[in-house]
Amino acid sequence: MRNGHADEIAKLIEPGRVHRRVYTDPDLFELEMERIFGRAWLFVGHTSQVPNPGDYVTTELGRQPVIMTRHSDGSVHVLLNRCTHRGAKVVNERRGHAQRLTCCYHGWSFDTDGKLATVPVPEGCGAGFDKDALGLARAPRTGEYRGFVFASLADKGPSFEDHIGPMKGNIDDLVDRAPDGTLALDAGMHRYVYSGNWKLQVENVLDSYHVPFGHASTVNKQGVQFARREGDQKGAAVIETEKKQTAASWKDRKSFTAGNGHGWTSNTTLDDGKRSSPVFDDYKRMLADKVGAERAAEILTPRLHNSLIYPNMSIMGLNIHVRVIKPIAVDRTEVNIYPIRLSGASADMNFANIRLLNVTHSAASFVQTDDLESFVRAQKGLQSHLTDWVDISRGLGAEEPDSATNATRGLATHEMVVRAQYKAWLGYMDEAA
Amino acid sequence: MALATRRLAVAAGIDRGPFEDFLIDEARLLDERRFRDWMALFDEDGTYWVPSVPDQKSPFDQASLFYDDRDLMKTRIERLEHPRIHVQTPPSRTAHIVGNVVIEHVDDGKGEFRVGSTFIMAEYRDDVQRLFAGRQRHHLRRHGDTFRIVQKRVDLINCDAAFEAMAVPI
Repeated sequence: MRNGHADEIAKLIEPGRVHRRVYTDPDLFELEMERIFGRAWLFVGHTSQVPNPGDYVTTELGRQPVIMTRHSDGSVHVLLNRCTHRGAKVVNERRGHAQRLTCCYHGWSFDTDGKLATVPVPEGCGAGFDKDALGLARAPRTGEYRGFVFASLADKGPSFEDHIGPMKGNIDDLVDRAPDGTLALDAGMHRYVYSGNWKLQVENVLDSYHVPFGHASTVNKQGVQFARREGDQKGAAVIETEKKQTAASWKDRKSFTAGNGHGWTSNTTLDDGKRSSPVFDDYKRMLADKVGAERAAEILTPRLHNSLIYPNMSIMGLNIHVRVIKPIAVDRTEVNIYPIRLSGASADMNFANIRLLNVTHSAASFVQTDDLESFVRAQKGLQSHLTDWVDISRGLGAEEPDSATNATRGLATHEMVVRAQYKAWLGYMDEAA
Repeated sequence: MALATRRLAVAAGIDRGPFEDFLIDEARLLDERRFRDWMALFDEDGTYWVPSVPDQKSPFDQASLFYDDRDLMKTRIERLEHPRIHVQTPPSRTAHIVGNVVIEHVDDGKGEFRVGSTFIMAEYRDDVQRLFAGRQRHHLRRHGDTFRIVQKRVDLINCDAAFEAMAVPI
């Protein structure tokens, strides 16, 4: 696999199954870092993380350390966090504020737009020393939509518009819930790691099939999940206990794919008429005050449950958050989850969302922990050599066009979305692309 | 600061012993997986908080590893008792050690106390052993001849690290 010929890679993906090496082969992982994480549009961060000139946050795109800065002219930059002198990581904090970014090793100092500003003992620089050419490397292409910043580490490829276009509505779905029409990712972050391949997490975010069994421990004897959101009287009906089977309402849920590996599941009703509490009612009123009653009702009627912006980001509409997937090794992955503050909503409403995320998606949550256990066990099980194939055939051939969304529709308990991810995966992994 | 308040507490005739005993008993309930008995130590308005950044000011405006009131605690414990909690199959085994107990604040009028201590918890599960350590602060309220917890705050030294799944309270 080391040479990574496209035809050899193509043999790993069949219409309803995936070869286990896709999850376990370290050479394939290296190729993914080069061909997917080195090419694709990746979510970097949100402009609300760097509100003022001099603000910065650090993250990783694939395994590459990057800095997102706000420069003195207000522009946002995605810079590689690597000194152009001898290679040290320049910024070591997760977030901060500085006029200049100074390397700890020999003191090279960079402006927040990446330009090399000062070099200690400049008289030692040779005649050919070109300060202008020694700024921090920057992501060759960046794009932004409603504050969400993406970058591609390749200078050519599909445009940002081509990539994000089909998912703009999904971003709108979330942002429009803020009475002021903007979000802030300024409420900290959850971080978890697991000993498993990054795609196990990517496949899971749109997987509605696993919920009744994988999250059985969150479902009570009446088959109902714990109440999740501010104002909810009870949680989702997941299991019909008398029949001991997945509830019909759960089986009816739909999933959608829109090319590029992207997809989403529906529907999560934000307001079924039964959701009520002083805090939620107050939020509804504030939203209606800002956008009008009609538009507020539209925003609160059946919405998206979870959206995947392939390959490294998901937006969850139910317990609102943004999730970023960071591959570390073929069998090791870190995930960061940002709570979302809806600008213009009350502190109590935002707290309700933050508190909910603590119990659904922190490393110590009721929900995510069982997923992590499944990912770890999958990675262990996939070591088996006698069963080489992973089955992703549920609903194969049952996909249908959805004219309302210009997407392809299937049942959420099917595996159409996973097949769409592997179609995109093959596209990236194809050497000639 | 802590030293001075301890001298005050001693001067006021407050014996550290009952506080230390309470913390040891609390840790033991967790180690014996007697989660319902553990929850019963919390007062009706009691909360259990594990911040996700050092010196976190508030659980209300940013993410926390745990911030449970009694209702969430109950849901958490019902889940821990559920036969199909995959992340506890097999269950965690833990051993706590609690020390360096300091009475940091005494409010005689309300019968409330703030007690700081240092802890180490080793956890073993499914062939992996890991270590949690940090400072904890118990806000206690006198209740008959014992205490109820108003808040237990656990500041892990690695609170802002990326964690593998954590199923049991610390």
